Amino acid sequence: MSDVEERLNRLLSLIPYVLKNQGVSLKELSEVFEVPREKLVRDLHLIFLCGQPDYTPADLIEVDIEEDRVYISMADYFARPLRFTPPELSGLYLACSALVKLSGQPASVELGSAMEKIGRTLGLAAVSGDEIEESMQIKPAVTEQNVLGQLSSALEERKTVEIEYYTYGRDELNRRRVNPLSLEFGLGHWYLRAFDGRSNEMRVFRVDRIKDLQMTSETFEPRAGKEPEIAEPFSPSPSGDIEVRLRFSQALAAWAEEQPIFSDAKREDAYLICTLRTDALAWLERELLKYGTEVEVLSPPELVEALRQTVQGLLKIYK
Amino acid sequence: MNKAERLINLIAMLLEAKNPVTLDRIRTSIPGYQQASMPSFKRMFERDKSDLREMGVPIQVEPLDAFGEDLGYRIPKEEYYLPEIRFTPEEKVALLLVNRLSSGQVVPLSKEAGAALLKLSPDLGDGSRLGHPAVRQQWKFSSQSESSEGLSILWDASVRRRSVLFTYRSLGERGAVERKLDPYGLYFDRGVWYIVGYCHLRRQVRSFRISRIESMVEQAHPESEGPDFERPKDFSLRDHSRVLPWEFEEGAEYEAAIRFSPKIAWLVERDLGDVYRFEPGEDGGGILYVTVRNEDAFMSWLLSYAEDAEVITPQALRAKVKDHLAAILKQLGGGRR
Repeated sequence: MSDVEERLNRLLSLIPYVLKNQGVSLKELSEVFEVPREKLVRDLHLIFLCGQPDYTPADLIEVDIEEDRVYISMADYFARPLRFTPPELSGLYLACSALVKLSGQPASVELGSAMEKIGRTLGLAAVSGDEIEESMQIKPAVTEQNVLGQLSSALEERKTVEIEYYTYGRDELNRRRVNPLSLEFGLGHWYLRAFDGRSNEMRVFRVDRIKDLQMTSETFEPRAGKEPEIAEPFSPSPSGDIEVRLRFSQALAAWAEEQPIFSDAKREDAYLICTLRTDALAWLERELLKYGTEVEVLSPPELVEALRQTVQGLLKIYK
Repeated sequence: MNKAERLINLIAMLLEAKNPVTLDRIRTSIPGYQQASMPSFKRMFERDKSDLREMGVPIQVEPLDAFGEDLGYRIPKEEYYLPEIRFTPEEKVALLLVNRLSSGQVVPLSKEAGAALLKLSPDLGDGSRLGHPAVRQQWKFSSQSESSEGLSILWDASVRRRSVLFTYRSLGERGAVERKLDPYGLYFDRGVWYIVGYCHLRRQVRSFRISRIESMVEQAHPESEGPDFERPKDFSLRDHSRVLPWEFEEGAEYEAAIRFSPKIAWLVERDLGDVYRFEPGEDGGGILYVTVRNEDAFMSWLLSYAEDAEVITPQALRAKVKDHLAAILKQLGGGRR
């Protein structure tokens, strides 16, 4: 989509939006149309130049901005937006279907009825979920009973929740009370940002690793502060205490090179030597077991020793 | 003269016109066309018309009178206007969430979905008045590494049954190789998009990780009207979308029973309970019945759970795991201490 086309599409929806909501604030328009205020004002100035021939003041669309409130008149012919193009309609169906898959059940009934209304109003046969699944499949991101729905209510009501959480980096299951601040879908999973009463700091939790969730009757006020970025909590951190050096065999070198966690690496003959810093040795041990004899720990010796004990323990199981 | 301004004036004029408008009248009326010479006006108008039609503006050519010699242009209102749709507050919340998703560019045709939702905005209104956490910026969707445009092209090609060309770098291969693919469908699993289709190079149905496509995706037969292929009747995207690494490749297929500890069993059930049978145990642990074809890939997955997972049956697999562990121990210098 070219810039002009994008702008035109926006203008053709902006006019009906204001016609329906006379006196709407610039702030609201800028949020709904996802454009900064200056760009919005430029848009409104452009609308002001448009109208019907012969473009005398009586023929032009009237735009007033008074104390940040916007009024438009003399534009009845733009009272409704333009119809959807076929790709726009397909896109809407795909996005709705994806949302249902990614968020679990909460929104699915409402989305279904909204899409049915759209189909009916446009005189189109509704596209069924089955038809979409023939061309696009999405693994449901949240399979557990509505943890996401409960978190969403907790966000709304600012309620503290108690969660039983599996910490991958330490391979530990434990309970904690957290104040939920936001939910984000990224890297293929849902993440919860919350103030964690256990560590007394803002933390990121993976929603699918919440085993159990209980609402409490406690409420909280969100504290100001920078929200942490989502990332795998066990990813190596530059501030990690332990420096680990690994050597991948020829067979795995090309693969390992592609992995973000092994990105600090260099080739040595056919091998790949990589360095990473981490605090999560429990995670790293399990990660390394995956690669079997294709990876060798060069340092530290403590990690070699820990791995040796784990493997010896495992061998006992298979005696 | 600004192009957007010229186009809006053109739409406004053709929408309001009671009768088809002649080219001449368009030229003399609209600022921006007036200054142009006749040939350059005609080129400009043709381009504007095709841009607008591409956007879905229904510009029609109609005869001016019964003789049909002179033609004019018009935009029929009933074909232009999106009818008003009355949504319930709950439906509005749901659609505003869809808008969040499309801003994140997570799925194919996200841009188009965003454009559609923009057109619905007069009927949806401002989310903040609905007072729902999801629309108060507390739900976010962050972008995928795959370009949404590439996803859109592949999705479109799979629906239209158009063959595509791209260069693809397989895992472990140094260079990218050109592939011709009959795309059957897309799937998304753990943050990664794949396209499934018939690969002309390997002559079989394969999955490709879209982030490993190194070139633009192009149509293989742009000159033809299509469709270029038929999707086999017995093809089901579901059969390909949840194939786990240890089910890939040849080798005899068998079932293995794996016991998981209470610490981890619930997580494994969440992840794989849709594919495999899971038998909960009384202690909170459980047994998962897994299909194995590729033993190396299986053992890699198994060992990532360390002492929290144990192969119960078959015995032959237990013996393989034991040998594998012994080899790892040897490399770690076990027994030499």
